[in-house]
Amino acid sequence: MAWELATFSADLLREPEPLEGVDVELVRPGEPVRVTHVLDAVEPRIRPDARPAFPTEGKAGEGRTNRLDGVVVLSCLDFPGEERPLHEQESIVDLAGPGAAFTPYAQETCVVLTFRPGRDGNEDAEAAARRTTLQVAEGLAQPTLDAEPLDVERFEVGSAADGLPAVAALIQLSDLGPLYHQYVYGTPAGQAGLPRIVDPAELLDGAVTSGEYHWAAMRNPTICFQRNALVRSLYAEQGKRLRFAGVVLMRGYEQSADDKQRAAEAAAARAQELGADGVVITTDAGGNSHTDVMLTCRACEVAGIRTTVILAEETDPESTRPILTDWVPEADSIVSTGNLEELVGEWKPERVLGGDTLLDGTAAATTGPIPVRNYLGAANQMGQLTLGARTE
Amino acid sequence: VKAVHYVNQFFAGLGGEDKAGTPPTRLDGAVGPGRGLAAELGDVEIVSTLACGDDYFAEHEEEALEALLGYLEEDRPDVLVAGPAFGSGRYGYACGTLAAAAAERGIPSVAAMHPENPGVDAAGKAYVVPTAVNVAGMRDALPRLARVASTLAQGRELGSSEEEGYLPRGFRRNYFAEKTGAERAIDLLLAKLGGETRTEVGGGLDRVEPPAAVPDLSEALVALVTEAGCVPQGNPDRLPSVRAKGWLRYDLNGEETLASARYESVHGGFDVTLANEDPNRLVPLDTARELVHEGRIGRLHEAFYTTTGNGTPVVTATRFGREIAGELREAGVGAVLLSGT
Repeated sequence: MAWELATFSADLLREPEPLEGVDVELVRPGEPVRVTHVLDAVEPRIRPDARPAFPTEGKAGEGRTNRLDGVVVLSCLDFPGEERPLHEQESIVDLAGPGAAFTPYAQETCVVLTFRPGRDGNEDAEAAARRTTLQVAEGLAQPTLDAEPLDVERFEVGSAADGLPAVAALIQLSDLGPLYHQYVYGTPAGQAGLPRIVDPAELLDGAVTSGEYHWAAMRNPTICFQRNALVRSLYAEQGKRLRFAGVVLMRGYEQSADDKQRAAEAAAARAQELGADGVVITTDAGGNSHTDVMLTCRACEVAGIRTTVILAEETDPESTRPILTDWVPEADSIVSTGNLEELVGEWKPERVLGGDTLLDGTAAATTGPIPVRNYLGAANQMGQLTLGARTE
Repeated sequence: VKAVHYVNQFFAGLGGEDKAGTPPTRLDGAVGPGRGLAAELGDVEIVSTLACGDDYFAEHEEEALEALLGYLEEDRPDVLVAGPAFGSGRYGYACGTLAAAAAERGIPSVAAMHPENPGVDAAGKAYVVPTAVNVAGMRDALPRLARVASTLAQGRELGSSEEEGYLPRGFRRNYFAEKTGAERAIDLLLAKLGGETRTEVGGGLDRVEPPAAVPDLSEALVALVTEAGCVPQGNPDRLPSVRAKGWLRYDLNGEETLASARYESVHGGFDVTLANEDPNRLVPLDTARELVHEGRIGRLHEAFYTTTGNGTPVVTATRFGREIAGELREAGVGAVLLSGT
């Protein structure tokens, strides 16, 4: 049989990448390593049917996806451009020491990608880093294609007995503009037609990825969608204590009072379409997005749907004054995922990856106590972790 | 390891209501309930007992505190124990106030009283161990009070209020729960659907009463204040874009407008592109000047006040407000245009 070799012009090469390169390091569980400037954490995933693990079209949450257990890809980038918040909002993962308790990756093998930005341009560098990170996560799962799984979980919302309360998850996704938005099938949350009902399995299967770089502790990195504790818990409770009514994705950081109110009412309407008796409302990032959550809480309660809200606190540890950024009286059932302002004890790592100097100018290896706020996902407001705050 | 014990005139054995005007005094060793307390304290020795009449403390708080803190200064105890005051309001208030003042000065302090005693609110950073409403609760209270006191005296950190048996002071502290936040949320929601509403954090916001209307704006001195992070170009005083620790005052130098060549916003909580094209939209100097020319505003205060309102704890922001308002009041300012972002 003949063989064909087709030749194409070099013009097809894209513009030079906005990254000069990337350093790759493998860190084993518990190694005395601090990782700085962390953008995202991603679980390696691949699909045996060759569909993308992080799809931009089609529907996730069908067929089978392979995951690599105990491995996480951490992407790091020190933004090159002069944009102020990005230069103050440090994001750290400690793999040992007191900070390890606040980020859940100390027990995992971390593949740390440190991107070296090329020319100026935060958005180009970030886009390239994000794309590459997802590709690496997919590539790392490649060996699973020729192996036998340790375990296969099946996610299907089956039937449940009448009389159990119907519970939905309302999951907020930030969109405050470039570098501050989450992606739904590769589209920024603000352009993804939110609020919208999705199959809960879509969320777990790479339909939502992260590109949101606010205060590290309040971020929802990609892995928190892939392993989403709320959706997994609701699947597990289905038919036992509740009926899992579904998932609504909604936007955080609506920009005007009218838009905020409209979006809150629309989210409540989606919950009604699902027939929910109650909803758990989750939060993404801080400040303005907390107002969206409170308005959504009120809109649901007005519609007769009971609510529990998950959010983090920003309280001066020496003060007993009010502590929530925003609040409505309807928010009478709130889970606190911790106080961002508390300090985590000092620790000297033996090695630093991601960048030696923290964004506040101190040396990452010898800096003093670090506030919880700077640990990636530590006070995750989807309730991914066990951190909480209580009155003492 | 040394403790000092505070009691009122009655428990010090000085007399009843007729001796409530007794000024502060210092007695050697343990007295009255202090003897029972000493028995529970183990290695911690009560070196002195401070006593004060309830009326005297209520009527001469400043002098009483000064004298009592003076005694503490001399004795330098490892812990101050006050009460138990049970349901007695004046005694409880004295215990709470003294314990709070001692705690502020770095002396670990614990009082004991009924949870509804007004002294609980006075105790600040000091600990309060709950007791029954009357003296019949003494036997039950002393061991619990001694346990907290002895932990504090040994310089050990107390665990949660629940574990250690003191009343929550209102400080929010992190802890690792047994369940994830998601599982806790499902539990709370199902409980609420079942008619039992609980929360891990209370709401409530500060409400600021609006002041009376300005009687005549055309006579008023008006100031411009903002939290929009508006500063002279180049941010010469390094106002942070988030978590500001203070505020700044800039002379207007008779300027009619905030030119974009001279001012900018360093606020990190919103996209400042449009604001920087016209800083008057953050600090409306142009419009305010027009209103002065039209006679609708009397005069403009010739300085504007600025900070960054982004990630600032409420307690810090309240301080900024007090300080700025203090200066403005002194300058005779009658009204403020406060622009928020």
